[in-house]
Amino acid sequence: MSADVHTLIGAWALDAVDDQERRLIEAHLDECASCAQEAAELREAVARLSDVTVADPPARLRGRVLAEVRRTRQAAPAATEPEPEPPQQTAPPRPRRARLAFRPPRLRLALGAAAIAVVAAFAGVVATWALLHQQAVPSEADRIAAVLEAADAEVAQAEPDGGGQVTVISSASLDEAVVVIADLASPGADRSYQVWMVDDAGQVSAGVMDAGDSSATMLIEDVGDTDLIGVTEEPAGGSDTPTLPLIAGVPLDA
Amino acid sequence: MFDQGAEAHRRQGPSRLSVVPGTESATAEALLHRAALGEDDAFAALYDLVSARVYGLCLRVVRDPAQAEEVAQEVFVEVWRTATRFDERRGSATAWITTIAHRRAVDRVRSAQAAGERERRAAAASAVPEYDQAAEAAAGRLEHRQVRRCLKTLTELQRQAITLAYYGGHTYRQVATLLETAVPTVKSRIRDGLVKLRDCLEVAR
Repeated sequence: MSADVHTLIGAWALDAVDDQERRLIEAHLDECASCAQEAAELREAVARLSDVTVADPPARLRGRVLAEVRRTRQAAPAATEPEPEPPQQTAPPRPRRARLAFRPPRLRLALGAAAIAVVAAFAGVVATWALLHQQAVPSEADRIAAVLEAADAEVAQAEPDGGGQVTVISSASLDEAVVVIADLASPGADRSYQVWMVDDAGQVSAGVMDAGDSSATMLIEDVGDTDLIGVTEEPAGGSDTPTLPLIAGVPLDA
Repeated sequence: MFDQGAEAHRRQGPSRLSVVPGTESATAEALLHRAALGEDDAFAALYDLVSARVYGLCLRVVRDPAQAEEVAQEVFVEVWRTATRFDERRGSATAWITTIAHRRAVDRVRSAQAAGERERRAAAASAVPEYDQAAEAAAGRLEHRQVRRCLKTLTELQRQAITLAYYGGHTYRQVATLLETAVPTVKSRIRDGLVKLRDCLEVAR
């Protein structure tokens, strides 16, 4: 997986990847200092390609830019680099949670294109250069960004037979995961995709997508010992137990 | 000889040698840091320094001058807004700004593609790097020649893949389709080519 992602560094430096690949690569770069170094060097080389396209803009652009800048507030600076985290082994073992059949859904659905755009934006140029720390109470978008940018973020992906992708970015330190469901086959207006957290004790629903939707971005809390994120197709509104077979199953590393 | 013809000819020579290679990036960092402190005049100076680079790149990728102007304006506002987050340890100011510009231009092209406004065939043709007027405007700059020379050291496939992706705004998968080459091959040629380009540009500096 990571070797495959690594070969995409060149395409990433040229912005020749799609949003989902960009997220995978940038998660990879967060984990691998030497890769990040290579990526930065390639970006510098790529920037030089603009040497041959230099062209003077119309004179009016300067006035427009400076006028807009005068009424544009600047972003807060990024937080200073955090201290390296202590080794994982020293963390106290997390008590294993009991699985309850009627546990309330712990996941909020961030539905549709707007949410995907938020994820894409956070994973974009700005996020490459700086962490985004702004508000005392993090919004869902901030929390999604925090998972994507976590130093221990693990990325896993499955491609269902019917098309599309299910990508899970999980952070053990945050105990959260982001599930990005993209372009699955349309389930039909009276069917919903449902996301499940599966471990050896069984499964619980992590959330149900709106009927007919084939893309969504979700933040999952309390990931705990989940072994697998599964997606099934269910009647609209979801089911208490999954209807097999799984449309997609994304294994999470223990 | 005080030959009037020769004198007149000389006056028509390159008149755009204003930027001395090497000082540009150093100055851009200093200006960007001052812009991050809210100094409008430093930002204006930064604009003067890099606007031709930003606009020219946007123009190459989106092709339409009116749209290129819009995108360039978005780029500069983003540069101003996020100047506070520029980190010199992660790369040069020029690369940082160019990255924002390219990303914005590519986003514009891809959303247009998604909306079906752009014909694939036209896109393919536009991506072929002709060194046109925009490039001519930069003739005389050392960096320009250096980049062209380094591009020539690449294999044909490496060069085509990189220029289609960068100037054409295509994804590597689209590049594979355009070049009728396997996707993994394109992926690795792009990376190999960029490594070669990096080495060539560094050696020459």
